[in-house]
Amino acid sequence: MKDILTIIFRLTVSCLLAGIVMGATFVFTNKAKLHNAEVNEQKVMLGLLGYSAGKSAPASLKLHPVYRYLVNSGAASSIGYLVPTSGASEAGYAFVNIDLDGKFLGQQPVRLEATKASEANERDKAVTSALGSGKECRYVDQTIVVSDNGARKAYLLPGEFPGFKTFVKVILAVDPTFTVSGLEIMENEEDPGLGGEIVQQYFKNQFRGKTYEALKKLGVVKEPLPEEYRRVLENDKNGGSIGAEEVAKVEATYADKNIYALTGATISSRAVTNGVKGIVNKFAYRVGILDRVLKEQQIVVPF
Amino acid sequence: MATDKSSMQLITNGILNENPIFRLVLSMCPAVGISTTVMNGFMLGIAVLFVQVFSSLTIAIFKNVIHPRIRIPTYTLTIATWVTVIDMVLAAYLPEAYAKMGIFIKLIVAFAIITMRLEMFASKETVSASFFDGIGMGLGFMAGMMAIGFVRELLGLGSLLGYDLLGFKPMLFFVLPLAGFFCVGLMMGFFNYIETRYKSAKRAQA
Repeated sequence: MKDILTIIFRLTVSCLLAGIVMGATFVFTNKAKLHNAEVNEQKVMLGLLGYSAGKSAPASLKLHPVYRYLVNSGAASSIGYLVPTSGASEAGYAFVNIDLDGKFLGQQPVRLEATKASEANERDKAVTSALGSGKECRYVDQTIVVSDNGARKAYLLPGEFPGFKTFVKVILAVDPTFTVSGLEIMENEEDPGLGGEIVQQYFKNQFRGKTYEALKKLGVVKEPLPEEYRRVLENDKNGGSIGAEEVAKVEATYADKNIYALTGATISSRAVTNGVKGIVNKFAYRVGILDRVLKEQQIVVPF
Repeated sequence: MATDKSSMQLITNGILNENPIFRLVLSMCPAVGISTTVMNGFMLGIAVLFVQVFSSLTIAIFKNVIHPRIRIPTYTLTIATWVTVIDMVLAAYLPEAYAKMGIFIKLIVAFAIITMRLEMFASKETVSASFFDGIGMGLGFMAGMMAIGFVRELLGLGSLLGYDLLGFKPMLFFVLPLAGFFCVGLMMGFFNYIETRYKSAKRAQA
């Protein structure tokens, strides 16, 4: 009996000690971790828009995040968009509620500062309090609308889809006509050397320049990647040795072509292609509805 | 029972005589699974070195207050604590390396080599001897992982440390998990062969 008590006591003490060590490390490192993730995402987004360390973004360029929520009131569910507002209202954000068929249900002003909107907890709290009781909301995803001097320039669509093994996380950049202007793979666990090659420029840059119409019937072909196309796709990696004119010319020839599959990774190639198609398709549908509602209700947005 | 080896002997012992991968044949899962490139082996080696040294130190310091009946749970708890610490530190300060290694870092908790060293060495020896043994074992593990990574990266991807050396991929299947098995096996046989040759040459001299 005495043995058991000593064992219990000592195990408890060791667990407490271990907890203190781990907790202290967490407190010290968590801030740096969150900061790193944010900086990295920002860099990738600007990179997709064509701005890098050598060519910084102009001050007139603004990124406006639009957060999508799923709202449940009783058995009925609807979609809510948290959009930034500009002009007369002081609230900063508006929560626009739309039902599943695209009909406008209502809108609530949400008092939220821009810096706090990027923090999930603060944002969810603000949205819940604006909605009032009896309604539950759940954050789904976000879209970033890029504007330059108030004119829409591009959309950045973070998204994920199933790959060969687990989910592949990407950020997709499309222009206002839904032509893909860039794809960046954020996270993947495909086989190294095979499906893992989806992060290579010669694969992901193939999506550049695919129009909305071309995307609808985009497929994957098991053919070798033509050498001139590969050179253009890897132009950034090789220090931009090919002139912009030739790049545009070659990319135009391949704009209607299908995606050339990676050797030994047809499933991964197909998964990425279908994922990109899905993201753009759904987004085009949603943004159409959102724009119509914003116009009908005369909600003034900065983009 | 105290060891009579000097600190230098303890370190070389971990790298050569009792190399965790090729001689003790412990922690085969990472040796087969993760050693696809030299860099992967190096990164995991650093993490294991850190965890091994700190766990050895912790156990050597507290060895007199650990109840013998619950020593294994205590070892696991110690290892898990240090693994969590390095996991968080890497995630915060080396995000790029962490993106590649993250899932394997957490697996260090289950590495046989660390528990075995705590049971066989740190729970009996002095603090300083355990410290040097931990360094030796960590370095030995790192050296083994990098050696396997060298062969697999060169033959599988035609590159070393990410630099394209050959310009083509001689045998792509070497980076797949199954190739890890026979790669490790062949290298183990190779090192054992060298050792037997070396010993018989020495005996012939004497």
